[in-house]
Amino acid sequence: MKKLDTYRYVIPKSFQPGMTVEGMIYADEQLIRAIERDQTLVQVANVATLPGLVGRSLAMPDAHQGYGFAIGGVAASDLQEGVVSAGGVGFDINCGVRLLASSVQREAIGGRLDSLLNQMFRDIPCGAGKKGIVGLSFQDLDKVLEQGAGWAVEAGYGTATDLEYLEESGCIRNADASKVSQRAKQRGRDQLGTLGSGNHFAEVQYVTEVYHEEAAKVFGLHPNQIVVMIHTGSRGLGHQVCTDYLEIMQEAMKRYKITVVDRQLACVPIQSPEGQDYLKAMAAAANFAFANRQMITHWIREAFRRILGHAGLGIVYDVAHNIAKEEVHKVGGEMKKVLVHRKGATRAFPKHRPEIPRRYFEVGQPVLIPGSMGTSSYVLVGTEQAMDETFGSSCHGAGRAKSRHAAKKEITAEELVRQLKEKGILVRGASKSGLTEENPNAYKDVNLVVDVVHNAGIAKKVAKLVPIGVIKG
Amino acid sequence: MDPHYRILEHPADLGIEAWGESIGGAFENAVLALVSALVDPITIEPGVEKSVLLQGPDYEGLLVKLLSEVIYLFDGEKFLTGRASLASVTPTSLEGRLFGEAFDEKKHRPRLDVKAVTYHQISIKKESDGFHVTVFVDI
Repeated sequence: MKKLDTYRYVIPKSFQPGMTVEGMIYADEQLIRAIERDQTLVQVANVATLPGLVGRSLAMPDAHQGYGFAIGGVAASDLQEGVVSAGGVGFDINCGVRLLASSVQREAIGGRLDSLLNQMFRDIPCGAGKKGIVGLSFQDLDKVLEQGAGWAVEAGYGTATDLEYLEESGCIRNADASKVSQRAKQRGRDQLGTLGSGNHFAEVQYVTEVYHEEAAKVFGLHPNQIVVMIHTGSRGLGHQVCTDYLEIMQEAMKRYKITVVDRQLACVPIQSPEGQDYLKAMAAAANFAFANRQMITHWIREAFRRILGHAGLGIVYDVAHNIAKEEVHKVGGEMKKVLVHRKGATRAFPKHRPEIPRRYFEVGQPVLIPGSMGTSSYVLVGTEQAMDETFGSSCHGAGRAKSRHAAKKEITAEELVRQLKEKGILVRGASKSGLTEENPNAYKDVNLVVDVVHNAGIAKKVAKLVPIGVIKG
Repeated sequence: MDPHYRILEHPADLGIEAWGESIGGAFENAVLALVSALVDPITIEPGVEKSVLLQGPDYEGLLVKLLSEVIYLFDGEKFLTGRASLASVTPTSLEGRLFGEAFDEKKHRPRLDVKAVTYHQISIKKESDGFHVTVFVDI
């Protein structure tokens, strides 16, 4: 591995046989040491062996070992010659983050935070095995899969304006519900409108620092303002879509004479029937996730209204961090259509890109970076440099550093809740083990991760958010 | 009797290692290990039976399919598997029965959402004391 500058490390093609492109890791000296401890470098190199890859196989500073692809990885393949990999998107398709900006200042909440969290915890189904809206028909589920957040708005969850502030306006157009298996639909049907467990959460936060006045103003953010961050995805439906297509791709790969160094990297040509079917099913699962976050948004607004009397929780933005998207990027000096796999990475488009909301046209898209439980989160803005270097992508969070088991051994749920309370953060969790596994010490320092991204120029800091209330699945 | 499985560490996921005298026995114990991530296995009364018949490219593929089946039954059909009994496991097919009961949130107190089974570092090995399987699940 070669250090290119303070924030960039290159993995040369000589690192491993079969690499057709170089690898590149964004990290400083501290983070690269953490990255070197697990299989991340090998996984970035493995991805660099996939057919039709363009540019470099990338890893963000929050990267850690995943399965097949590293989590925090970005890889783009030529739309005509390249491949699509279900593992390159991951099981939680369109796992993502949404930020809501309230009209409430921190000091105005006073002693009502407890009641607000209780209300949110009652209204948002969370934790393992929890049901969402009961009685959704398969016919309606197909509409969710093809219309995304638009379906939720039509069903009374939120307003049409909300849709303008979602990546893809909350609906990837080429979704086809018929490409999603009955098993995936069966898993997803009663999970629509649920937070899930693991690292998923809804947090009440406030803006503690503003770094970029102009962008913060355009995003509607100002100091001490209460905001709400939602982190969840496509639940069992997306997990099953990935499981199904991993099998399909493994089988089909033989026909296309593609071999991979790790079975989890199974892939097929983008233009093959299997590749196209996967992209249509993936889009459907992504739409499910957009609708899911839209419904949770509605319940949070209701909880704010009930407890605080008003909410004003307009959407700042909603980003996907597990997704594959057709985009146009500069490759070798010319504009090219590519499929960008973002596996634990966020799109970070700069100003003047047609894909971003009109209101943000002159500043760039908001990039939402959730920290680990009880630590800071960030709002960043996309840059031109990200277009030049990372297919318009940036990091997605803090990145896990310790296993769930190790995290759980370190602290009891009671002690964790007490420590967070001392820091002024109230927690409601569906399970004790869920809480301790998300022990903030199990994660890298989100401040370091965001500083690398900012200093490397692939996104710029806009505002820092600090939690006061956490709802944990 | 000590369980014939253990949980392994992985930064992103949960690994399970299981063993048995036969490959089928190791697979059955891998099912128990997976279930122990979902709920406390002692709470499951295995009174309902489901048959399972799977085709696959190799033993690894079949193990992933078997565990994926258990996840699907739980997440999709709210059926909790308490025990597996496999009559035959060949390199390309698997046949047997799963015993369990309908999921009841109050009785079974779910621990984790297991999203899926991965091929990451999957291994099936014959050793002097029988078969050892290792597989990672995404949570």
